[in-house]
Amino acid sequence: MKQFLFIIASLLLFASCTKEIHLDLDNKSGNIVIEGNVTNQPGPYYVRITKSVAFTETNQYPPITNAIVIISDNTGQIDTLRYVADGNYKTTRLVSMPGRTYNLRILAQGLIYTAKSTMPQTVALDSLVQRSFSIGGKVNYNILPIFTDPAPLGNRYLFILSVNARKDKTLQAFSDNINNGVVNQRELMTPSDDDKKVNINDMVHIEMQCIDQDIYSYYTGLIQISGSSGPGGSVTPANPPSNISNGALGYFSAHTSVIRNIVIK
Amino acid sequence: MNKVIKSLVILLMFPSLVFAQVKYTVSGTIKDKKNGELLIGVTVKIAEKPGIGTSANEYGFYSIALPKGNYTIIVSYVGYEEQRQAVQLDKNVKLDLSLEQTSDKGTNLKEVVVSSGKKDKNLSTAQMGTETLNIKSIEKLPVLFGEKDVLKTIQLLPGVKSSGEGSSGFSVRGGATDQNLILLDEAPVYNASHLLGFFSTFNSDALKDASLIKGNSPSQYGGRLSSVMDIKMKDGNNQDYNVTGGIGLISSRLSVEGPIQKDKSSFIISGRRTYADLFLKASDSFKDSKLYFYDLNAKANYQINENNRIYLSGYFGRDVLGFGNTFGTDWGNTTATLRWNSIINSQLFSNTSFIYSNYDYKLNFKSGGSDFGLNSKIQDWNLKQDFSWFAGNKHAVRFGLQSIYHTITPSRASGTATSSFPKDSKYSWENAVYINDDYKATDRLTVNYGLRLSGFTILGGNTYNIYNNGVLTDSVALGKGAFGKTYLNLEPRITANYRINEYSSLKAGYSRNTQNLHLLSNSSSGSPTDQWIGSSYTVKPEIADQISIGYSRNFADNNYEVNVEGYYKNMLNQIDYKNGAEITFDAGKDIESELLFGKGRAYGLELIAKKKSGRLTGWISYTLSKTERKIDGINNNQWYNARLDKTHDISVVATYQFNPKWSLSGLFLYSTGNAVTFPTGKYELNGQTIFQYSNRNADRMPAYHRMDLSATYEPNKLKRLHGSWTFGVYNVYGRQNAYTITFEDNTDKPGTTRAIQTSLFRWVPNITYNFKF
Repeated sequence: MKQFLFIIASLLLFASCTKEIHLDLDNKSGNIVIEGNVTNQPGPYYVRITKSVAFTETNQYPPITNAIVIISDNTGQIDTLRYVADGNYKTTRLVSMPGRTYNLRILAQGLIYTAKSTMPQTVALDSLVQRSFSIGGKVNYNILPIFTDPAPLGNRYLFILSVNARKDKTLQAFSDNINNGVVNQRELMTPSDDDKKVNINDMVHIEMQCIDQDIYSYYTGLIQISGSSGPGGSVTPANPPSNISNGALGYFSAHTSVIRNIVIK
Repeated sequence: MNKVIKSLVILLMFPSLVFAQVKYTVSGTIKDKKNGELLIGVTVKIAEKPGIGTSANEYGFYSIALPKGNYTIIVSYVGYEEQRQAVQLDKNVKLDLSLEQTSDKGTNLKEVVVSSGKKDKNLSTAQMGTETLNIKSIEKLPVLFGEKDVLKTIQLLPGVKSSGEGSSGFSVRGGATDQNLILLDEAPVYNASHLLGFFSTFNSDALKDASLIKGNSPSQYGGRLSSVMDIKMKDGNNQDYNVTGGIGLISSRLSVEGPIQKDKSSFIISGRRTYADLFLKASDSFKDSKLYFYDLNAKANYQINENNRIYLSGYFGRDVLGFGNTFGTDWGNTTATLRWNSIINSQLFSNTSFIYSNYDYKLNFKSGGSDFGLNSKIQDWNLKQDFSWFAGNKHAVRFGLQSIYHTITPSRASGTATSSFPKDSKYSWENAVYINDDYKATDRLTVNYGLRLSGFTILGGNTYNIYNNGVLTDSVALGKGAFGKTYLNLEPRITANYRINEYSSLKAGYSRNTQNLHLLSNSSSGSPTDQWIGSSYTVKPEIADQISIGYSRNFADNNYEVNVEGYYKNMLNQIDYKNGAEITFDAGKDIESELLFGKGRAYGLELIAKKKSGRLTGWISYTLSKTERKIDGINNNQWYNARLDKTHDISVVATYQFNPKWSLSGLFLYSTGNAVTFPTGKYELNGQTIFQYSNRNADRMPAYHRMDLSATYEPNKLKRLHGSWTFGVYNVYGRQNAYTITFEDNTDKPGTTRAIQTSLFRWVPNITYNFKF
């Protein structure tokens, strides 16, 4: 919706122009950032702990190297993660399983951070179908992921879309509050910016994750503040609601994961 | 019956009303001689009794009570010839008057009238914070795309702030854009913008008068916190047929008006359509796209007899956007007003209105076999009964009642999308009774005071969840036809004007306003998909208390006018979305669970200096203000700047008439940038750069300024045809004002981030040809 309004607005505003500007931005960084994932794929699983930096600095994020990181689950497994490099800690023996609830406990720089996440049951991603529509003479491609939402209400999905070997990813979150229990009909949009547009022969990678409600809320918030904003700026930005305690940025997600690729023809 | 009402009113409210001696009244309606349009707010005075006078109400009716005798009545209205009429008062006299426009009498230099009414009206009425726009007077001001627009023009007045470049949304004295009651012939207009706000829904050709009251409205108005924008459509010429129109670069207008029965009844029909999409269609790439709006205003009136007249007016407008079969959206307002004006006796005037108002939008996205849609609607049925009672020559009393039945259908999914949480319409009933007296206490002191009792009742047919900070605590299932919670609010209002001397006056006022319909918007500029909701078990009525004080002084025979007003406003039960609110239709959440509540405060100083006549006319306006919110759960529960908290706001508007054919207009604007939230840091997640935020609205957009110019050429009349050309340039010096600022990874310098500013509208030219025959 936002995207369309933006296209319309830019049509209307033939006179619009952009330029880089320099702003005197406040620096309130230096916060702990935690990125933790446990999936249904074989381990090890990683937790990354870094710090945020000022907007004006380069994208170098100081790693936290001496934290104590423990993941446990509701079946009695406890695993203390081992530091690898670049802020990453990896599990040593944790075996994951859909339906289990995982607890993360971190002691870093004198503070304790905890989080909890439940890995949903796996939903199979059967295939990807290419769809296209044209706006202003340009063909845009959408990808329809074919999967069947299970009958019980409450499934949440995260789709991570990337093109070829490019680093940037597009996130989209679905819930089964719409069209519960049927074969999916909703398409994934590919980037609309000119320099990121998908063309014929591009390889599109799609990762489908089944996530829990808290992580769904987190990604909904993250999607709101990333990407292009609509006319007049979009939502008043705020940090996404993290499932980690004590004001840490980031998330801890136990999810299932399946990756499929499609070449645009 | 009338006597009963009178006695009740006197007993309850106005013990000071005493009828000391036998008086007779002179009453009637005041019209424009040329076209029969009723004139609003004309000043009526008595030559023999300088202290006595009144103004015609918004339906052109006046009434004055005087002891038996011979009098000369003086009727004056800016832009019209003053008229004197002798009257012998030995019984009640009905005296209908017609005024002639100054320009119609062959005066060469047309005055550009900045405000209507009597020249020194600003000094004599108790009404505060009121700006009246004569639609004719804004004709020559430069505007975007050459489309004159009342909602754009009021943004040039002190205390009124634009919500963004080219936007018809506005904020009055620190209020939100939904806190303005916008009435078109008494019908509320829920979305006053076309094409994302670049045009307003008001076609100036169809309008007679517009007035904006900034929070100190008399008690016949209510339901919104910040302001009342009362727009009246033309009645139509009852003397002669006229066709007026305009042809511009991206839109055209046409109006037809004329008598149904000469002197007695008339009609007017106005239409407007943009055709920007025709240019798009010309290019191959966009031939499938739709991008236009149209609107239609129609009004007819019929005089049943000397004392009774009915009016039927309607508005219909729609925006349509789309790309082939893939994507389509359309939205619009429909209003209809059936009004019956009745002169019950020489002192009592009644207006009864039945009003329908509707706003809805639809959105559709089709691809392959799937078809997703969204739609939402707000619909009102409204009954108003209002009495104007000219009780003696010291009191002008308004009393009456209003009743509105609201149906609000929240944003819901349609097409092949079936929601597991279908959202049903919600029903509510809003009522108000009010009484207001405009009291001329002494020659120098005028007091306008009143009370409004407003009620809002939740009606059955739905289940209402009760949330405390987003946590469900209880729910109430109301069966169809059941009455739920009722909110009652008493709203006292008073303004007083003390005339210090012939040239100056001092004003002060207090008023309370409440609001039971709330617009939820998560985008800063407003979008057609923004959602209206009513007060509920979770959402309480918004309340605002405003105190204001002002000083007015006129110079040089009332040709110059200076007004200064200061205000302080306190707002309760203000609403905002919580951070990261899940409002998409697949989040499936009850929208009320995503809301947070708190309070607001606003204070400021407004200054306007006007030059009202001569070759050079115009005004300079300056506002110094502060607006803050404090919402539990946002910004660590600390006060933060509202988005439209612009500290300084200046506008300069001028029109110079070189000769009868050429005039030049210009305007200059400067304002502090909106309060916004910029990143205070960044971090990395999933290999992507994410920006970190801290305090809400702690940053500022760059300051906004621009200058617009336009020239109007009016050649001599050709028989009946009267044409004029307007040439204009918007943003003459091409200032790149920031429309949005976004933050991103710097593709030119990998490993760093940058801020990108998008600006719109540099040097936008326009040419419009206006005609009338």
